[in-house]
Amino acid sequence: MTLEIETLTSGYGRTEILHGVSIPAIAGGSFVGLIGPNASGKSTLFKTLAGLVAPHAGRITIDGQDVTHLRRRQRARQVAYMPQAFGCNALLSVFESVLLALKQSSGWRVRSDHLDQVSDTLNALNLSHLADRGIADLSGGQAQMVAVAQTIVRAPRVILLDEPTSALDLHHQLSILTSIRSEMQRRQPVVMAALHDLNLAAKFCDRLVLLRQGVLLADGAPEQILGLPEIGETYRVETDLERTARGALYVDARLPA
Amino acid sequence: MTPDANAAQMRQAYAARTHRRYGMMGLVFVLLALSFLLDITTGPGHYSLSTVFEVLSDPMSHGVRLKVIVWDYRLPVAITAVIVGALLAVAGAQMQTILNNPLAEPFTLGVSAAASFGASLAIVLGISVIPAVGPILVTTNAFVFALLTCGVILLATRLKGVGSETMILFGIAIFFTFSALLALMQYMASEDQIARIVFWMMGSLSRASWEKILLGALLLAVAIPFSLYRTWPMTALRMGEATAESMGVDVARLRVEMLICISLLAATAVSFVGTVGFVGLVGPHIARLLVGEDQRYFIPLSALVGALVLSLTSLISKSITPGIIYPIGIITSLIGVPVFVSIILGTRRDRLS
Repeated sequence: MTLEIETLTSGYGRTEILHGVSIPAIAGGSFVGLIGPNASGKSTLFKTLAGLVAPHAGRITIDGQDVTHLRRRQRARQVAYMPQAFGCNALLSVFESVLLALKQSSGWRVRSDHLDQVSDTLNALNLSHLADRGIADLSGGQAQMVAVAQTIVRAPRVILLDEPTSALDLHHQLSILTSIRSEMQRRQPVVMAALHDLNLAAKFCDRLVLLRQGVLLADGAPEQILGLPEIGETYRVETDLERTARGALYVDARLPA
Repeated sequence: MTPDANAAQMRQAYAARTHRRYGMMGLVFVLLALSFLLDITTGPGHYSLSTVFEVLSDPMSHGVRLKVIVWDYRLPVAITAVIVGALLAVAGAQMQTILNNPLAEPFTLGVSAAASFGASLAIVLGISVIPAVGPILVTTNAFVFALLTCGVILLATRLKGVGSETMILFGIAIFFTFSALLALMQYMASEDQIARIVFWMMGSLSRASWEKILLGALLLAVAIPFSLYRTWPMTALRMGEATAESMGVDVARLRVEMLICISLLAATAVSFVGTVGFVGLVGPHIARLLVGEDQRYFIPLSALVGALVLSLTSLISKSITPGIIYPIGIITSLIGVPVFVSIILGTRRDRLS
């Protein structure tokens, strides 16, 4: 399975946000971190990949097949997108809300294998203790983890997570990304996640893509990307890339003097 | 606990929840059946339950007088209460879902006010928006105005950047516009016409007829299966627009489809019985508290609760003063509001039971 993005230009109405972004050959089973400051076009790239925003130009292919012309529902089956907005006041249990993500066809009955998929996903993300709770009663972090569950339960070929760890504490940041990685081992989807924490990105991603003002600046292994001078320029900070005693990459950032 | 034990427990909890929901629907259905039976046995003339049943099974068994009372008066009124209650509650439930606002219902969005204005136009000036409708002039006018208002709301939701709060404000603007126009009509009207307008606005089941019942039943027979066909996308919409879209729901299209459905339901209900507030609000709210917002249970239960509320109202309207039937619009507001307030204050925050 390969996802390819070729000279993708996209935006809202006449406003162009992404200017010819190309990300070649993302293989199934790889975790791509999308990094870049606020308003660099990360969410627009995700929405365009998910089919919520129509591209102005360019191609998105999965295994060589152009997906831009697929219908909304077929597209959603292949590409699952977790938007930044999560949490709601609906009176639904966590179990129901995850089941909902699977059941997008019509029909009253719920298939037994769908129930299995939901309980498997909740187990995999360590959310089984919340299954019967109302989603409106969850904390921000719990709601975010449920949103991740809604995305991966569909077993899509491409998973797009827009800041999946923004509301999570340190333990849950590590635990959710670890769960996603082990989920990837099972089904080998492409996972792309927008991440603000560069150290977290370095720890979990196989590949990093740096965006600035809708232009792709760099694409490569974390070690290579995080050492580039463009990182500091893009985020308007001074950075040094170091290795900790345990061998992990560490981006030391400070405001310019 | 092992993953398997966890999975079994989760499925069990889900199954228990599902059973509870069917149970709730069954319970409300039984209450509705009781209320309906009481409704047809209550009235200015005192006849026993068995007498009424005999007339129901054999119309002429107790003479023409009882046949007329039961078949031409009580039965149409009781059935109309059930049908209109269901129409209003389903319309309210769907409005609340697609506009993501718990206050949305035909009354708050100005649909009832528009219908009242349409009716007054017919009563005062004899103006019909559809020519040659003759005796059903008032009903037709009310229907057309209600439908037009829904159309305007539909167009407004298509505008960019119109959120759900804006929609409610928009509904209030419509409400005030038509209230002002209605006041103008009343100012121009004769005493007799004012009396007719006021009576129309109070909402009454006495305008029931078998033709209206047939029309309303047909509409429900189409609208409820259609809503059930769209239950999953509608439930997804409750998760928020962005999430629903990411799940593959074409939200813009769903809104248009549902608003067309709602327009017909609301316009029909309002043109049949006049202004009946709160049923469109109370029905869905009680249903939501009982079964949550999986629309597979929420929509049918809203219909049942709405039907039950209006059926009970019909019963109460006949029972307060023997021999007098009060307009139902007054009853729904007078009794409905305190009941409603106690429900929302009692639960404080909506919780999943």
